[in-house]
Amino acid sequence: MLRRRGSIAFFLSLSLFIVVLFYVIPLVLTVYVSFTPMKNWNVPRYIGEFISTKNYQRLIHLLKFDPDTRNVVITTIVFVLFTLTINVLGGLALALATYFIDEKLSATYQVLWLLPRMTPVAVYSLLWYYFFHPTTLGILNSILMALHIIKSPIDLGMDPALMPWGAWSVIVFVNGLVGVSYGMIILYSAFKSIPRELIIASRVDGATTWHIIRKILIPLSKWHITFVTVWQLLSLLTSYAHTFLLVEWRIVDSSWGQPWALYVFNTAFVGAKDQGLAAAAAVILSIIGILLGVLALKVLGYERMMTEPKGDI
Amino acid sequence: MAERVTYKDVETISKFRINVIIGLALLFISLPIIINYAVLFISSFSNKMLSGMTVHEIKFTLENWRMFFSGRLSTTQAILRNFWDIMRYIFNTLVVGLGVSAVVTLTSMMSGYAFSRMKFKGRKFLMQFLILLHAFPGVALIIAVYTMYIAFKLSVPEHYLKMYSFTYVVFARAALEVPMSIWIMKGFFDRIPWEVEWSALVDGASRVYVWRRIILPLVKPGIATVAIFSFLAGWEDLIYVRTFLPITEKTLATYIEGLLSEGSLEIVHLPAVAAAGMFYLLPTILFFIFARSYMLQTSMSGVKM
Amino acid sequence: MVSITLDNVTKRFGRVIAVNEASFKVNDGEFWVLLGPSGSGKTTLLYLISGIYKPTSGRIYFDDVDVTDMPPSERNVGLVFQNYALYPHMTVYENIAFPLRIQKRPQNEIEKKVREIAKMLHIENLLDRYPAQLSGGQQQRVALARALVKEPSVLLLDEPLSNLDALLRLYIRAELKRLQKDLGITAIYVTHDQVEAMAIADRIVVISHGKVQQIGSPEEIYNFPRNVFVATFVGTPPSNVIRGELTSDGIISLKSGYLRVEPEASKSLRSSGLSEVLIAFRPEHIKISREPIEAPGLILQGIVYAIEPLGRETLVTIVSGEDVIKCVLSNGESIKVGDELFVHVEREKIRLYHPETEELIAY
Repeated sequence: MLRRRGSIAFFLSLSLFIVVLFYVIPLVLTVYVSFTPMKNWNVPRYIGEFISTKNYQRLIHLLKFDPDTRNVVITTIVFVLFTLTINVLGGLALALATYFIDEKLSATYQVLWLLPRMTPVAVYSLLWYYFFHPTTLGILNSILMALHIIKSPIDLGMDPALMPWGAWSVIVFVNGLVGVSYGMIILYSAFKSIPRELIIASRVDGATTWHIIRKILIPLSKWHITFVTVWQLLSLLTSYAHTFLLVEWRIVDSSWGQPWALYVFNTAFVGAKDQGLAAAAAVILSIIGILLGVLALKVLGYERMMTEPKGDI
Repeated sequence: MAERVTYKDVETISKFRINVIIGLALLFISLPIIINYAVLFISSFSNKMLSGMTVHEIKFTLENWRMFFSGRLSTTQAILRNFWDIMRYIFNTLVVGLGVSAVVTLTSMMSGYAFSRMKFKGRKFLMQFLILLHAFPGVALIIAVYTMYIAFKLSVPEHYLKMYSFTYVVFARAALEVPMSIWIMKGFFDRIPWEVEWSALVDGASRVYVWRRIILPLVKPGIATVAIFSFLAGWEDLIYVRTFLPITEKTLATYIEGLLSEGSLEIVHLPAVAAAGMFYLLPTILFFIFARSYMLQTSMSGVKM
Repeated sequence: MVSITLDNVTKRFGRVIAVNEASFKVNDGEFWVLLGPSGSGKTTLLYLISGIYKPTSGRIYFDDVDVTDMPPSERNVGLVFQNYALYPHMTVYENIAFPLRIQKRPQNEIEKKVREIAKMLHIENLLDRYPAQLSGGQQQRVALARALVKEPSVLLLDEPLSNLDALLRLYIRAELKRLQKDLGITAIYVTHDQVEAMAIADRIVVISHGKVQQIGSPEEIYNFPRNVFVATFVGTPPSNVIRGELTSDGIISLKSGYLRVEPEASKSLRSSGLSEVLIAFRPEHIKISREPIEAPGLILQGIVYAIEPLGRETLVTIVSGEDVIKCVLSNGESIKVGDELFVHVEREKIRLYHPETEELIAY
């Protein structure tokens, strides 16, 4: 009996240590910091000062009256919705396409679409730096000018005349290409796990590829599609790394190119270095995130993902 | 011994037509990706950026790579490094990658087993909690994690500071990967037949013994998967190394970041930066070459345990 | 070598009762078979004895020792799984040596014991191979060697032959029985194959839906089945079971025949309030005649519906009234489909069962 408890402790020790030190305590601490006036990372000075809800009041004030902060909210909504659509539909389309073609071709394209996700953030941002560069050096500008669609190079991410859709297109496109691969992999394996005999039987009955997609593949992967949608939604709400360098390198306008998560990071680490305010903004984001997370677990039926261990030893 | 039969689609359907139509469509929508990476690759070997209008002036050169390794990526002397600096940056990136890989792999090997095979109070709750953690905004956590970092740093002796920050960044970054990796390893553990373990337990082996000698050798693919993916996560990271490591200890990520934020077109030679980017991309490309052949292998043979 | 006693053992999984108040005692050195269809709870029962499962209620004893709360490693049992559960990354030698390594026995002792048991099971030339390189029969012997090498007090086998082809099954079956007798080890064997059970068991426990139906020697199970389930589960083809009406003294009437019983039997049947009774008899106890028969026992009239020649015997299906009767005849060559025949079964071969509880009615 004692032996059992000992081994459970052994197996769980490292993960419990990490979870407590890097999730549980920080969670509480972030909430705490949001109630302090911490600035410039002067921890010893500010950590003891409890100023109640001043940061939150400031935040609300900014949201109401500061156009830059208001733009962040709008950007977040647009960003999440549009990118989510691209990710889910794109992932679905890719999964379907690679499902029907030859294995070798399929593997090639899947690996190709995994590239964005698996590329170092700095290199990925570098690619888009080249792509969206506001001079003739930019790939987009080169192509558009060669096709005679524009006469001189445009600054899609920064030009005030192209705001906000210019900046939005950039961040949605850049992040979209990264997220598509997730849906592609999950849905592809969902399709693959459908017994091949079903497809063959329907072919024998005369079904077209479109029939098979609509009547067999999609209905039987409903759970997976829901899972991808929910997971990507949560991811998009909280991701900021792939947009960070685009803003820092001034490829994208800082007002219209910062979703909420990036706004939190930049407020705390770059520029204003106002950790108190950032923490307040982070707490709000976290509340939304946790609520969605709990909802997600319910919708997905958590039980389905868990199997009970067998045996009493 | 059961055999697995792979069924192909009905043979009278024109496979060729489907392949061509879908293949072309895929090619078209994959163009942005293909173009971008091709530009990066080719530019790293050319005297001018392939992205510009001056495509016809492109000449092959290895100068970019020489510049990269010597640390001189600027046409002026404004950003000066040397060979050893670059080596150090590469080494730092490796340290972070290997460190994250080690921590994540070890943690998920141990905890994944417990969640898969052992009954204990709070098991269900903990697993639910793990899933929730993954949905948690990392940006909210990093503020507090950094606060703690600064607070602890005050009591770290001078000559240990570098080790402290590297250890911290490895664990902080690894923490992000831990929930998912535990789930992945649990999945691999779940697939082992119960009888193999029961047999050893009936003979009197302890859980740890069974885990080490019997189970782990059977989940090698899982361990490799987690180890590789977590290595790449550490290798590719920008935000955490930027936040936690001292300015002098750059990795390839922060180096490239610095090149384009400190400098601009007039100072930095873009094709040389492309070379830096290509080098940084190397492990990813290696991973892909192996991943593709592995994917083909497993999908075509359908090996069952 | 121990005796095993189960005292009212019950195992629940949530709301499902897998084993329902099982009680029996296996004597030292006996070969018992747990026989039942899939899902009957026989494997659960085996796992309870081994300690992999803990009973929800009830106690288990090895000799006089209460082992109910003891983990498997302290019970000294050898377990052979249906899918053998060999360690794929270890050689045959390492697989067999494993239990001894756990017990930290000295190297030369391990070597000696492994080679001994390998010799006994004729696998001494396979010791360097890996499980994937072995045939099914060889893997099974390795699993057996691994279970026996630590000289357990009890040998538990979970459908060890079900993954082998028919011919191999027959061969190994006999070997297992011989091995158990030579070693004198108490053995419990789980199977759904009743022919197998009959062939090797000293005693059989017939289980259905978690409940013990009958415990007895193969002869007892076969000739005096305690209820209709046992009568129809054991025997190929199973017993014929037909329903008859109690009419006048000594006669049970059927649509196309009748059964004559002793007046005392008939009186006791009627006094227990029965108006109907189930009549069971084995196919091989049937005698066929083209002429009407006058004899004590069961007489039926019917038409031949199907004939299946099986070489050594012939399986004849006869429809009598609403009943379908299967007969096994050793000389059925002259019979043709459509023939009208008379069926006769001697009184001693008839078993009577209660129409509702399906229990054997003592007569």
